[in-house]
Amino acid sequence: MIPEAFPEIAWSALAPELVLVFGAVALLLLDVQRKPGVKVLWVMSLVILAVALALGVWQWIAATPEGEPIFGGMLLFDRSAALARLVVLGVTIQAMAAARSLFAHLGNRAAEGLALVLLAAAGFILMAASQNLVMMFLGLEMGSISLYILAGIAGDGVRSDEAALKYLLLGAVASAVFIYGAALVFAGTGSLDLLGIGEFFARNLLLSPAVLLVGIGLLTAGLSFKVAAAPFHVWAPDVYQGAPAGIVGYMAAVAKVGGFAALARVLLSGFENFRPDWAPIVAGIAALSMVVGALMAIISSDIRRLLAYSGVAHAGFILTGLASGVEGSSSVWFYLAVYTVQLVAAFSVISVVGGAASSGSDLSDYRGLYRRSPFLALVLSVALLGMAGLPLTTGFVAKLGVFLWAWRGDLEWLVVVAVVASAMAIYLYLRVIVIMYMQSPVGDDPVLCDRPTSWALGAATAVTVVLGVFPQPLLRLVETAIYL
Amino acid sequence: MLTLLVLTPLLGAVVVALIPARRRELHLPLGMALSVAPLGLAGAVFFSFDAGEASFQMVEKVVWWEPWGVSWQLGVDGISLGMVALTAILFPLSLAVSDSISHRRKAFVVAMLFLETGLIGTFLALDLLLFFVFFEVILVPMYLIIGVWGGERRVYAAVKFFIYTAFGSALLLAAIIALAVMHASQTPDGLLSFDYLALLALDISPTAQMWLFGAFALAFAIKVPLFPFHTWLPDAHVEAPTAGSVLLAGVLLKLGTYGLLRFNLTLFPEATVSLVPVLAVLAVVGIIYGAVVAIVQPDLKKLVAYSSVSHLGFVVLGIFALTSAGLQGAVIQNVNHGLTTGALFLLVGMLYDRRHTKQISDFGGLATPAPLMAGFFLFMAFASIGLPGLNGFVGEFLVLVGSFPSLPALTVVAAFGVVLAAIYMLWAYQRVFTGPVSGAENRKLADLSPKETAVLAPLAALVLLLGLYPGILLERTAPSVEAILDRIEQHTDYQAPSPGRLADVFLSDSEEDS
Repeated sequence: MIPEAFPEIAWSALAPELVLVFGAVALLLLDVQRKPGVKVLWVMSLVILAVALALGVWQWIAATPEGEPIFGGMLLFDRSAALARLVVLGVTIQAMAAARSLFAHLGNRAAEGLALVLLAAAGFILMAASQNLVMMFLGLEMGSISLYILAGIAGDGVRSDEAALKYLLLGAVASAVFIYGAALVFAGTGSLDLLGIGEFFARNLLLSPAVLLVGIGLLTAGLSFKVAAAPFHVWAPDVYQGAPAGIVGYMAAVAKVGGFAALARVLLSGFENFRPDWAPIVAGIAALSMVVGALMAIISSDIRRLLAYSGVAHAGFILTGLASGVEGSSSVWFYLAVYTVQLVAAFSVISVVGGAASSGSDLSDYRGLYRRSPFLALVLSVALLGMAGLPLTTGFVAKLGVFLWAWRGDLEWLVVVAVVASAMAIYLYLRVIVIMYMQSPVGDDPVLCDRPTSWALGAATAVTVVLGVFPQPLLRLVETAIYL
Repeated sequence: MLTLLVLTPLLGAVVVALIPARRRELHLPLGMALSVAPLGLAGAVFFSFDAGEASFQMVEKVVWWEPWGVSWQLGVDGISLGMVALTAILFPLSLAVSDSISHRRKAFVVAMLFLETGLIGTFLALDLLLFFVFFEVILVPMYLIIGVWGGERRVYAAVKFFIYTAFGSALLLAAIIALAVMHASQTPDGLLSFDYLALLALDISPTAQMWLFGAFALAFAIKVPLFPFHTWLPDAHVEAPTAGSVLLAGVLLKLGTYGLLRFNLTLFPEATVSLVPVLAVLAVVGIIYGAVVAIVQPDLKKLVAYSSVSHLGFVVLGIFALTSAGLQGAVIQNVNHGLTTGALFLLVGMLYDRRHTKQISDFGGLATPAPLMAGFFLFMAFASIGLPGLNGFVGEFLVLVGSFPSLPALTVVAAFGVVLAAIYMLWAYQRVFTGPVSGAENRKLADLSPKETAVLAPLAALVLLLGLYPGILLERTAPSVEAILDRIEQHTDYQAPSPGRLADVFLSDSEEDS
């Protein structure tokens, strides 16, 4: 018999995460017991992810839009969290499908790597669904620690070690900042539960909210670190450059989804009342990120650093949507969903061109890629044009959405900064395309990629173009995913 | 019908893309044949167009991105009609002279047809976001055409072209968003809309009008290009392959003047009236500056490129004269310039194919070995200068007559542009084609081939037709032009001066014929 104090748990609502976690454990045990080949493990992990995604879709259809509190209100899979789950699982499958060669390279560490990928995905999904700051921290750490290890897992070369260590140290500081912020929020309101905080404000009026505001600021700073928004972005280029190419896209994508979901939930669900206080700060971070990201990317000579800085700029665009308030969060979701697909596709191409486990990738390696592999050049071009926000790609729709909501949210100045920053950014993406198509190749040998990689890349390209022309299905989907 | 017109070239691009790359002899003829289809459709649109109607015709509307009120909405009126026809005419001709494109020919044809869809779409779009999508998407094929198939400094020129125009359109996007949000706040249902016709009904405060006008005008001024935003143009023109130059000068630049005419004047009438001095001065500076720089150019292609800056200054002057004659002149000069400058770029390209140089000093006395070519060049140069009986005269004359009542001093200055045009064009002709033949290579120079003649002849015929019988175009543009002026007069206390008797010669001419 279940004791009275033990809450009833809607396990079915957690089914995808349970599959991921138990799947990860199963992979590790299987590896110890049987030593199956890397290929078997890799296929298993894809199957686990596919099952989790199927359950996630089932939950999307079956569950009520408001979701059901789990673990006494620690977790809540409302529409936005359920969407975050689908995005995380989708890009994880996309990244893993293209990463077989990386795990083949890892050899007997492959099972660990795959298990960590599954755990990180589960961690960031839980982070996105957290209603409680402690739960959020647990999800954040579960995801982040997995990523710290993954950053250094290839273990060959100083660069990879440097990347992992840098990520670990700065990440730990950010986590500390976050948890300190949570403590101050608790001091200010007596609650760590975001709904509880809302109720607190319904009943009380804070005469001096200084402590609380500092707490909100620290939470924002900690999460800004995770999503690599300026000025908390300095780790990103080194980590993106040093970590194994096959995994960087995945790392960046899931950390961004989890981080923005958490940020949106904290700011829009917990502290919506304080929007006049935090909106200028978030808008300032957004503007700084867009400008700094675009400028630094323009002077980068390494494609990974370039994408890292462009990621900073994209964090700025997403924050622009966030700063515009609750309705704007639909544009945040659209942006995250389409940007992560482009990001993972771009890094998959990098891992094919430069080697899945390698560190660093100079732009000059991409000279004349068109001749060595027309397919990869096309995929990378579409991904970059998508990031540039050119019409007929999803990137344009995403940017338009963010701009529309920001303008409606009276952040006209931010929209002007954003359009100018995106015009600057066009140059940097164009630069890569020029190198690929208009310069003579470094070698004559064709660049080949395995079949699953081609499928993943082809699908990402198709999604970017088709949803760019006909975005209505995704637009309707994200409209339901605003924070209430 | 209009949707079909926009999508036929795209379909053609897909068909060409499906032909295997090794059948390279097929791509160009097939592309040409496929670009005749939109020409036929454009002809059908032109002749079924109701000349007495001021509003948009053949309107088609399909909801596209429903949550944001974006729709696929096309329509044609007197302002866009001529541009669509011009675009459809220039494409088969430019493809016909692209034999010299030796590598990646398939990609070239695909890019060209894609470009045609974008250009026709831009002229026909009645939804501001759809317009922006076409406006922006054009950059990609044009960038490739310059950057892949261009001359020695092609990458530099292509990137410069892209950056300039991308910056311009960034603020345009912000302004379009502002209008859509304004629509949401001014209508009871609070829905966003990018529908041009719905946005015309907005009540925009004078300050907001100034900002929005500025954003729109900057994007279009870069495209025109209006002085001082013209510096991308000579590079792009010189490096682009012949087909690229023809389309750049013939059609792409007109997106700027078209945009000013279509959107700035109608959406922001108050700002238009108060900013007339600024734009008119810039236009006149461009006229004189472009012409003076053209005179000293040692490079024939650059000379024609700078002449475009000068000619398009006339178009902008005509627009901001805000008189019916001025506007009519601007609309028709848009088309005229596309025909004559397109033909001049074709001729320069033909010279370059023969001699692989564009330096005027490398030529001399070419009229002896190539009389036909000299004849066509002189004919087009006369049209460009504005010789009565040819199309350029009608356009520039209307612009000058139309702007004199409202901007007398500027018009007098602008009139010197015509004189300067005679200097640079005829001097260039003299140095290239007349006198004793210089050099052995020039002596052996082949005259126009039958195919080249066949490409130039239709342009020459149109130049003559529009020169002798401008009514065929003017009668179709007149109601739309009047509608723009009426709108400005309704929304401001501006009163357009009467066009003056001389201009009536052309206008009444067309009324008799219709």
